[in-house]
Amino acid sequence: MAERGDRPPAHGTKTTMKTFLAGAACAAIFATAAIAQASAALTINLDCADGRGQVLIAVFDSKIAYETDKPVRRLAAQPGKPVRLDGLQPGRYAIKSFHDIDGDGRMGTNPFGIPTEPFAFSNNARGSMGPASWEAAAFDVPAAGATQTLVLK
Amino acid sequence: MSAAAMSRRALLGAGAALAAATVVTPEQAFARAANAGDWTLGFADLEADLPASAMTRVSGRAPADLKGVLYRNGPGKFRRPGGSVTHWFDGDGLMRRFAVEDGRATVTARFADTNKRRVETAANAMIMPGFGTPARAGAPIGSNDDVNAANTSVMARGGKVWALWEGGSALDLDPVTLETRGGFVTLRPDLKAMPFSAHPRYEPDGRIWNFGLQGSRAVIWRLSATGALEAAQIIELPRSSYFHDFTATERHLIVVLQPWMRGERRVLPISRGLEWKPEEGTRVLVIEKDDLTKRREFDLPAFSFFHLGDAWTEADGTIRFDVCATEDPSFGVDSAADLLVGKLDRSPPARLARIALHPDGRGVFERSDTVAEFPKSDPRFAGKARNLTFHTWGDPSRSGKTPLSQGVASSNHRTGQVDHYDFGLRHLVEEPIFTPRPGSSAEGDGWLLATSINLDARATELHVFDARRISRGPLATWRAPVVLPATFHGDFAAV
Repeated sequence: MAERGDRPPAHGTKTTMKTFLAGAACAAIFATAAIAQASAALTINLDCADGRGQVLIAVFDSKIAYETDKPVRRLAAQPGKPVRLDGLQPGRYAIKSFHDIDGDGRMGTNPFGIPTEPFAFSNNARGSMGPASWEAAAFDVPAAGATQTLVLK
Repeated sequence: MSAAAMSRRALLGAGAALAAATVVTPEQAFARAANAGDWTLGFADLEADLPASAMTRVSGRAPADLKGVLYRNGPGKFRRPGGSVTHWFDGDGLMRRFAVEDGRATVTARFADTNKRRVETAANAMIMPGFGTPARAGAPIGSNDDVNAANTSVMARGGKVWALWEGGSALDLDPVTLETRGGFVTLRPDLKAMPFSAHPRYEPDGRIWNFGLQGSRAVIWRLSATGALEAAQIIELPRSSYFHDFTATERHLIVVLQPWMRGERRVLPISRGLEWKPEEGTRVLVIEKDDLTKRREFDLPAFSFFHLGDAWTEADGTIRFDVCATEDPSFGVDSAADLLVGKLDRSPPARLARIALHPDGRGVFERSDTVAEFPKSDPRFAGKARNLTFHTWGDPSRSGKTPLSQGVASSNHRTGQVDHYDFGLRHLVEEPIFTPRPGSSAEGDGWLLATSINLDARATELHVFDARRISRGPLATWRAPVVLPATFHGDFAAV
């Protein structure tokens, strides 16, 4: 998995398209391997004020993975279009996402380091001067599946 | 409210300390103080917007050719059941609109619809950090604009009305209803949430300069007279001083770096993270408007300030401007917090001082005895040689008896004359704004519009003075049907 460039969007660090896509490819392999033992589905709805660009999404399956930015899945989605992740092991998950409006593959920041592109965490949790905590963003994906609606702002 | 401490980095560093911080709720202290002195009316909560309401003319007659709108901004709500702000600068932005036409006046007041106000209304508590208020643990903050109170100043230019704070974006309001209409203003997508501070400087032709501060870096904004972005550039500053205002000549921007500086420790609230180091003196940075890399520095003795007057260059190259200066920043740190708990300001009032920056590199700082705040001038002379500074006025012998000011005045730099009007101890007098008389051209030919809180009438009043005969008292005074909390800054839009 990508070792860098995939830190939480609220930190204003760069997430490049390359690492995102590399991550997505890895995730696809993991997903194939995992299907034998897990098949829970996660549906993610995206509430975006802007139709341009795409939404870059990272899904985490533990507090440690979340805090060290080691997602179990990554994907790029069209703004406003729901996406469905299949083959997840039932358990606790959290999501970090940002809307790459200008399509440069990076979380835009202004010269003072403040995000300029909309972002969201699962449960629409907001951090306090930083990313939302795992505790605030984590949600259950039972065998029957789960849905998250992310309001990117 | 400084951009410095509102920065994400600064906020992150302070997070752990804040998690343990307890917000002191001041309701009881405030209630006790309200019994002791009704000056606390100026710092009370307004619970609801005030729809457009006729003001009653209580004296005089308005000049027939005075037509326009005085916008004024200031915090209007400080307290909620679950917790309150702990500093005057941190209440919810409340825009006021005083419209004068055909001798009649109306007043409208409306709270800015900010993220901060929405979050705190839902929480039934003030939880967001500010200039002197700590954040509650877990306050949802994803950007500096999430805590933007839009409560400090107003820019009414090019048909737009922007409520200004100093650590974040301007907020776009409807010029008539004061409804928040466009949200926070992003002048260019990559500059979203860059601070657009509370003291834009206007050239006589309308061009707008402003800054936004983060530590020892600042963004310098240049906008057209209609508010369109012309340029935005980051500059480095020689020290991380806090400053609320800057000034300008026709050719220069002037940044006064008082020795009230961000310390090594990143602390919130902002006022607690700043250290007063008078031994380091005050430094002045003079920057060429045409090339922001061209700069000169001057040294002055230590003083503290919030507000500067317009600057100009004399024939020999000497740059002059005035400042309302204090010995130290204790008003901003302590007194402005105490006002909310009904404790009277005991810090010495600001006095008018003059600064000269000579071509040989020498800086001169000269204090006067005139108690003064909110220096303003005739906008036709902004950046040009001028004689007059308009300001609030106070009687130094009343220090400690009343907060804020008791009068308005003009100071003539050439003659030394101070033309003042004293409303006395029963008024809290706010920043006066000059507007030229249509068709005139001489400096000071126009009117001074000032609002005050009349403690006996328990009502906000609007006064119009002949700006060249202030001591004769108001030409006209109108009274609002209610008292509105004290404001900071205004802007006049002639119609």
